Amino acid sequence: MTRATTRPRTSLPTGTPAPVLSVRDLRISFPSESGPVEAVRGVSFDLLPGRTLGVVGESGSGKSATAMGIMGLLPPSAGLRGQVLLGGRDLAGLGDKALSDVRGKSIGMVFQDPLSALTPIFSVGRLLADTLRIHQDLTKRAAWEQAVELLDLVGIPDPRNRAGSFPHEFSGGMRQRVVIALAIANKPSVLVADEPTTALDVTVQAQILDVLRLAQKETGAGLVLITHDLGVVAGHADDIAVMYAGRFVERAGVDELFRRPVMPYTARLLAAVPTVDSGVHRPLAPIGGEPPALVDLPAGCPFASRCAVALDACRAAEPELRGITGHGDVACLRADEIADGSLDPAGTVTGDAQEPHSGRAATGDVVLRVEDLVKTFPVTKGAVLKRRVGTLHAVNRVSFELRAGETLGLVGESGSGKTTTLLEILRLKQPEGGRIEIAGTDVGAVGSAARIRELRRDVQIVMQDPLDALDPRLPVFQLLAEPLQAIGRDRESIRSRIRELLALVGLDEAVSDRFPAALSGGQRQRVGIARALATEPRLLVLDEPLSALDVSVQAGVINLLARLKRELALAYLVVAHDLAVVRYISDRIAVMYLGHIVETGDTETLFSDPKHPYTRALLSAIPVPDPQRERARERVVLEGEQPSATRVPAGCVFVDRCPLHRLADEEVRRRCRTERPAPVDVAGQPGHQYACHAV
Amino acid sequence: MLRYVTRKATGWLLMIVVATNATYFLASWFLDPRSNFKELRPVRSEIQIDRALAPYNLDPQVPIVRRWWDWLTSVVLDFDWGKSPTGVSVNGEIGYRSLVSAELVVIATILSVVIGVMLGVYTASRQYGWADRISQAVSIAVFNIPTSVAALAVVFVAIWLNQHAGLHFLYVAGENSPNVEGLLPTIGDRLLHLILPTLTLTLMGYVGYHLTQRSLLLDTINADFVRTARATGLTRAQAIRRHALRTALIPTATSVAFSVPALFTGAVITETIFGWNGMGRYFIQTISKNDVHGTVATAAFAAALTAVGAILADIATVFLDPRVRVS
Repeated sequence: MTRATTRPRTSLPTGTPAPVLSVRDLRISFPSESGPVEAVRGVSFDLLPGRTLGVVGESGSGKSATAMGIMGLLPPSAGLRGQVLLGGRDLAGLGDKALSDVRGKSIGMVFQDPLSALTPIFSVGRLLADTLRIHQDLTKRAAWEQAVELLDLVGIPDPRNRAGSFPHEFSGGMRQRVVIALAIANKPSVLVADEPTTALDVTVQAQILDVLRLAQKETGAGLVLITHDLGVVAGHADDIAVMYAGRFVERAGVDELFRRPVMPYTARLLAAVPTVDSGVHRPLAPIGGEPPALVDLPAGCPFASRCAVALDACRAAEPELRGITGHGDVACLRADEIADGSLDPAGTVTGDAQEPHSGRAATGDVVLRVEDLVKTFPVTKGAVLKRRVGTLHAVNRVSFELRAGETLGLVGESGSGKTTTLLEILRLKQPEGGRIEIAGTDVGAVGSAARIRELRRDVQIVMQDPLDALDPRLPVFQLLAEPLQAIGRDRESIRSRIRELLALVGLDEAVSDRFPAALSGGQRQRVGIARALATEPRLLVLDEPLSALDVSVQAGVINLLARLKRELALAYLVVAHDLAVVRYISDRIAVMYLGHIVETGDTETLFSDPKHPYTRALLSAIPVPDPQRERARERVVLEGEQPSATRVPAGCVFVDRCPLHRLADEEVRRRCRTERPAPVDVAGQPGHQYACHAV
Repeated sequence: MLRYVTRKATGWLLMIVVATNATYFLASWFLDPRSNFKELRPVRSEIQIDRALAPYNLDPQVPIVRRWWDWLTSVVLDFDWGKSPTGVSVNGEIGYRSLVSAELVVIATILSVVIGVMLGVYTASRQYGWADRISQAVSIAVFNIPTSVAALAVVFVAIWLNQHAGLHFLYVAGENSPNVEGLLPTIGDRLLHLILPTLTLTLMGYVGYHLTQRSLLLDTINADFVRTARATGLTRAQAIRRHALRTALIPTATSVAFSVPALFTGAVITETIFGWNGMGRYFIQTISKNDVHGTVATAAFAAALTAVGAILADIATVFLDPRVRVS
């Protein structure tokens, strides 16, 4: 960026190099039924070679549209104005043919979802070789050789053989490496990464960010890193631009921005992120309201209606981005006051999250007891006659218990058996192995269907994506009435119960005749929670309840869940991939790996004193929204990926990736290989157990 | 690849055998060759009729399993498909007719697929443009016209053209003209006769490919991997052709195989209207004349056509989707 002189940790040569990419007053609009949507409203920045600009924003803030605008990949109906200067040449307004000479050669792009970003019918080597041959005059053979080298560079093991494999034969993380290889194939001077790690596990995310850094080093390219995750940009960006309602509202060096966010939106955004850095539960302050719709935006600052320190003048005209001494550029009328510390951008509003955290208050009845739960799936082969060729051990002798008023978080990479465990509990049938007890009733021993139905009332689920989980053709009233009708409530009591439920989750009664599509993300998830609560359950199973929500909305739902748990003495069983969120909402945590619980304990003990090497690696992979700590902290980056659950090692399931195993002495190594470790208690920490030979 | 296709082909061969034999039993139960003789004067006795049918292996007094076994051995050993109740050899009838019909069905299938897919691709990449809207309207209209109506309309138009433009190359009846001699004139004459029936069948067949290919391609045209391909430096048209189209063609290739029977049914009507002595007409004649062996042979022919279509589709799938070679 232009103010690179203020950067503290730069190895730039003296004299500012020319920017590789300059965007000037970029404006993008999409036609819609209710008028043009102004997705991007005047974005300008310079990107210097070898540097990283992090663009942070919530969904709908225009960050992806900006990326697509730079790439020239907007749909034909979109309107684009302004300048995109790449090496002095304006890309805006160029035709598809001219742009195709630039794309891939001078700008490479990494996409969000690696599962769908690769053409399924071509081998990865072919994809890479084709990409090379678009811009370079190479023989097929030479291109293939280069493709193999690229695969090696991005860390695909055995690249020569794997080049012939098809995308579906790779895991998500490996596919994202291939996507990065595609982006850097022709050594572009600019890389655009649009949410490159959002679809990946936290351990894989750390690996991919390292690959991205390596790729950037290798090509010397400038990187535009687009993400909603403040933790990711803290460790990886040099400069950060915060986007809101289609504009940059704050732009500063990464240290300045995190030290003192000046734009109230940025400050509130940071305050709304649960952090894992300390045992102290800082109350989460959600930003009230929702981001504005970008059709017919009213005059004034688009954040004014959600801002705690807004003045009347804020609503009159939209403030321009202007330089603040010692910081960066901020689009706020009160930026000077905030920058010199005389005004707290959070204002006096702190949200409804002031209640102290309960700590280990779980003294209620046992609501759920799982003992030695086993679930396997047969692996079959053959089209007509299915032969059983193996067994997938999804869940292997998992045990835990959960008391009323307590939250248990299940964490682990995808494929570790978290969701299978949830589904086995929700099935309310005799499990394949072990037993499940709900509110003192063994579900395997319950004979009658009527009793099962009664039990069903006690266990309810909140799904990940409320838009998928709620029938789009039913209004909210019907959605909430359905579970009540199922248990045979009469019309009058249903009506009053729905009023109660809406009040309980903090929704206005006016939403009851709306359809899910007419609600915002946060409102929808509140409906999802209200629906789960309708039958007055004792156990709520939450499968990634927050991952579909934006940061500013997420905080409100977290606070809601905490309040409901306290008021209704609910027990929560939570599966979430965001460990910061899990730490914030859970009383206890169970870490799963390949269908086994490898460590379990109270949240704070586990986070502050993790014993199992896998837990340590998992926790160390969480990006922290604090640039200094993020750079300084040591990470245990796990090599490789979770093996398939069809070939579970005879001994410890983690043995192939275990950093301790490699360093251990011969006797311990032999035990790791042959003997499955049993959970052992940690002295002086009640409830903290781990299963490892080497610790 | 060879192993994959051989495996598929073996499966289809098995299917033809089963289908043909099942047809033999069904036809033997439902078609009664004796009724052909009931109308004859002087009236014949049952015994006389049975005796007349016996040389053709159609005597109802003989157990069906034995008749079937005799029929099967003669088909397998001598490729002799039997005789009609009047003693005409099925092989003699079929040999020529199957060529005529195969010509018609194969050319029409190829044309339908090519035209349909091309239209689908053209309109999908111009979704909601005027070309898309018009061609879709035409296709939907054509889709709703029964084959017989369409064939008659084609005939009328052809006659009108012949009369008004003084053209005389659009033949509306028969599969060839008498009195044509020499190899090249014969081929030319046959091709001219092919024009109208093929046109009719193609009209009936292309619509399905157009509409399904359009929606298949629209599903993949906005796929993430097409965007990735464009990000590596392909133009939109190149990305669609190399990445989206190839993926979207796979389901079409599979559906071609199963459209052959439908096209064959369409050919029955077309052949009747255009006065062709093809398998379609033969099929109707054999059923109405209680010709068990002729019916079975026709069914076997249709099954063989379907199998050929399916095997071609399998080869196309292997070519389009290299993943099937791996697994």
